[in-house]
This record gives sequence, C-alpha cells and structure tokens, in this order.
Amino acid sequence: MLTLFSAGFTTTPALAPISDRLMPGELLAIVGPNGAGKSTLLTLLSGFRVPEQGSVCLDGMPLTAWEPQALARRRALVAQQVRPSFDWEVRELVALGSDAGAERVDACLAALDLTLLAERRLTGLSGGEAQRCLVARALCQLAADQLVGETDTGADQAPPGLLLLDEPTSALDIGQQQRLMRLLRRLASERGLAIACVLHDLNLAGRFAHRVWLLDKGRRIAAGTPEEVLSAARLASIFEAELDEAPSLAGGPPTLVLAR
Amino acid sequence: MILRRPSLPWPSPAWPTRSGTLAGLLLALLGAWLLGAFSGSLGLSPRLLLGEWPSPLDWQVWWQLRLPRLLLASLVGAMLAGSGAAMQGLFRNPLADPSLLGLASGAGLAVALWIVLLGGTGLYGQFLAGFLGALAVCLLVFRLGAQRPGQEALFTLLLAGLAINTLAGAFGGLLAFVASDEQLRQLSLWGMGSLSHALWPAAIGALVCIPPALLWLLRTARGLDLLQLGELTAHGAGLDARALKRRVILATALGVGVCVALAGIIGFLGLLVPHCLRLWLGPGHRLLLPAAMLGGALLLLVADTLARTLASPAEIPVGLLTSLLGGPYFLWLLMRRRA
Repeated sequence: MLTLFSAGFTTTPALAPISDRLMPGELLAIVGPNGAGKSTLLTLLSGFRVPEQGSVCLDGMPLTAWEPQALARRRALVAQQVRPSFDWEVRELVALGSDAGAERVDACLAALDLTLLAERRLTGLSGGEAQRCLVARALCQLAADQLVGETDTGADQAPPGLLLLDEPTSALDIGQQQRLMRLLRRLASERGLAIACVLHDLNLAGRFAHRVWLLDKGRRIAAGTPEEVLSAARLASIFEAELDEAPSLAGGPPTLVLAR
Repeated sequence: MILRRPSLPWPSPAWPTRSGTLAGLLLALLGAWLLGAFSGSLGLSPRLLLGEWPSPLDWQVWWQLRLPRLLLASLVGAMLAGSGAAMQGLFRNPLADPSLLGLASGAGLAVALWIVLLGGTGLYGQFLAGFLGALAVCLLVFRLGAQRPGQEALFTLLLAGLAINTLAGAFGGLLAFVASDEQLRQLSLWGMGSLSHALWPAAIGALVCIPPALLWLLRTARGLDLLQLGELTAHGAGLDARALKRRVILATALGVGVCVALAGIIGFLGLLVPHCLRLWLGPGHRLLLPAAMLGGALLLLVADTLARTLASPAEIPVGLLTSLLGGPYFLWLLMRRRA
C-alpha cells in the first residue's frame, strides 16, 4: 500500500500537497491538461523527487528509507517517451534492471506481444513497439511474470508491487491500447498490483480505471470513481474544450467526444 | 512460419558469447604481447625459441626497456578505451571520449604547468598534476553537458571539448615560450603521445594507479546499463545515479590523468575501440567494458610495436599512429550519422 501524507513540492514544478492512499489491486488513472503536474506527481510517487513537505510511504515505510534495490523489486516505472540510448536488443533491454532468467523475460515479452521481436534491435522498432518494450521491462523488474502467467502458482511468492506508468498508450494503436489496458487491469484486480497510470485519453481512463485523479495547475482537484470525476461539464472547463457527451456504456462514465 | 532461436538452458543467453568474446580478446592480447616482446631493433628475438640464448646486452635491453613498455602500453590502452566506454555510457552518447572532451588536454596542460611553473621534475608529481587536470575538466564538462537533453548535450559537449582543447593548446604554447631549455626538452619528450621513455618507474606507477581505476570502472557496468533507460527510470530500477557519476568521473580522471602524465596524449583510442566493439557486441556494459579494456590494450600494443619497428631504429610517436587511424574513422562516423 502506497500512502501519501500531505506530500508535495513548493519549488517548481510545484505540486500542492496530496493525502491519499493507493491500495493493492487498484488501477488509478491520473488525468489533467498539459502541464497540470501529472508527470511531477509520478516522480513523487516513485521517490525520484523527495517531497518537501509530508512523506510518501510504501508499506508504512518512507520511500527514502527503503534500500534502493529492495524498493526496485517492489516499484517500477515506465517514463514518458524515453528512447533508451544505444541499440539494445529487445531481449536485453527487457532484462535491464532485474536479474531475470530467460523464462521471466520470455513471459514478459509475451505479455506485451513482443515475442516475435525478441531478437530485434531497438532502432528497427516503431514507437509503439519501443513503448511496449519499456512496459515489459518494468513488469520484468517487478517479477511480474508470475503475475501475467496463466497459472496461479506464483501469486503468493511475489508480494504485490507498485507500477507507475507515464502515458504508456501514447504511441499505441487502438488494438494495442486495449490489450495494454486489459493487461494492467488484470494485473491489478487479479494479482494485487497497485498501478498508477498517467493517461491523456479520458475515455480510456473512464473505461479501465478503478479510480481517477484529476489534476490542474499543480493541484489535485478531484478524486474518485470515473463516474464521479469525469463529468463532461467539469472536464470541459478544465481542458477548455467543447465536449459532446455520448450515452454511457454499460454503467460506465459518459463517453466524451470533441464537439465539431 | 517464423523460426526463432530456441531459448537456451543457461540463465542468461548473453553468457556464452560473453566468455567466448573475452577469451578471444585475451588470446589476441597474448599474441600481441609475444609479437611485441620479440620485435625491435635490440632485445630478445624469436630465435630464443630455437635455443639461442640472448646476449647479456640483449637481455638487459629486453628487461629494462621492452618489458616495462609492453606493460605500459597494455595498461594505458586498457585505461583509455575502458574510460571511453564508460564515458560514452555516462553521457549516453557514442561520441564521448576522454581526448575529444578535452580531458586529456586538460591533464596535459596541468602536467605542463607543473613542469614549467612549479619546476616539477618527478614522475609521480606528474601523475598528480595529470589527475587534477583531468578531474577539473571532467567536472566542468559534466556540468555543461549532463543537464541538457540528447542532441543539444552532444553539441554542447563537443564544443566544450573543442574550446578546452584549443585553450589547452594555447596555454601549452605560452608555457613552451617561457620554459627553460631543460623544461622544454622535458615537455616535448613527454607531449607527443609516445611510450618511448617507458621505464620501470613509469610502469610501476601505472601498475599502482591504473588497475584499481579499471576495476572501479568494471563495477559500474550494471549502473551504466540502467542509466541508458533515462535517469528517472533508472532510479526506479534502483540506481543511485549520483554515486555512479561520481565513481565514473573519479576513476576516469585518475586513470586518464595518469595515462596522460605517462604517455602524453594518445588520441581516439577511447572513441574508436568502444565504438567498434559496441557495433559487434551490443551496448551492454557488462560485456562492453571488459572487452573495451582488452581491445584497447591490444590496439595500443600493436600500434606501439608498429611505431617501434616501422621506421626502426627511429621511432614514430604512437599518438601519431592512433590519430592517423582514429581521425579518418571519426570522419567516416560523422558522415554516416548524417546519412
């Protein structure tokens, strides 16, 4: 369980203090306009930036007190659109940051539809393929192969971890978006991973997340279920966009469409 | 149907290639040692193997000149190429290199300052001066380049290196102007990038300073791998980036500073060797770093043997040879990058 005790920054990029907790099994979507502080919030959640006030605790212990290697086995991060430098082979790249054996790497590759690309080099990949590699790498670091596998055997070996993703779907086609979001949701609800995911696609957030935080100008202005947070009127004013609201599907939040 | 390489039973598929590559390089290095040991205008000849015992003079030449020189060439080559590989990893940029970034000329200037202005004569004082000079440039360059994103950092670094090289050259010229004849001789003896005055004191100095720096660099391999994911992700994977940077900078400054103090400026080795090896072996530093060290030792040994024998009994400065090799390669690299 990740707990934020009024954690925030005063220096730029500033983030007003947030108190909340992220439970195992929860898929949290973080949404908001450009520059709202979403990526900054992820650096706070991952412990890369230390809050100037308050604290962020994983299992009751502040992130700063964790031994880095031990923390790395419990928390992994997929940053926004970073192309790794140099020309890695996909398999090598996915194994970075863990002492994973071939089996675990294979399982993580398979989970992201990368099996056929395993021996390819990074420069030959499309943006979406590279993005999936980085997600697979994070899963591998969390030993999440036991989580993505079909069998239940590993469920109690691996303590649930924390997965942080910054716009993991930005370069993916809709089929891959769906597969990734389904995978994340499955990792959360079946295997107890806590996942925080910055998303630009509000419909994707509304459809897959258990909970949504809405950020604007460095503050969290709403938090709750997708139905509570993602109302067309609120989003229209925050994003300064004109929205049409299509009827909601199967009890989810309303589908949002840009007005022409 | 798409055929795939079957997954292998050992824990990491990179392992067999790793040991195989390193063993191959080690064998080649051994060959270069034998070649170097038996070639030259005086000293042991291959006829030793036929039972012809060398004369006392030949033996003495070999023991007092050739052996320390072979040692020095191996150590300096390993250090320059190893630090090149580590710096390329640290800057996440295949064009980083101790001489291109001005590290070597900074160390050179410090050594020249020490000789001329402080009247230093001892070899180990030169070591210290070289280390401090390299460290100063390292910190400066790192401040300039590390905070900027990709392409911009590259230009900043190359321009900074250019400026430092030019500045060091100008100051070096000024120092030569005010130096006494004796100091001038000392400077020019040292400054051409040559291993020709390698004697036991130099070899012992190198033996004391360089292997620890190499070991230190080898221990950064995992961290350098992680750093290629970007600092944020690397931190998420358990990397203490500041400690890594500190370690690479200190080891590189110590190693390169000592190399420059010993052998002058030997260009392009740190660029050439890791770059070629990376094309061949991939970017993983756990293999690249040791391979670059072996490859650098191999290349400098061969180059030095050529430098000794091509115009025998005269001698070409080995720095000249490596620059003649590395310069065209570098130009080719730039042309290919544009294409």
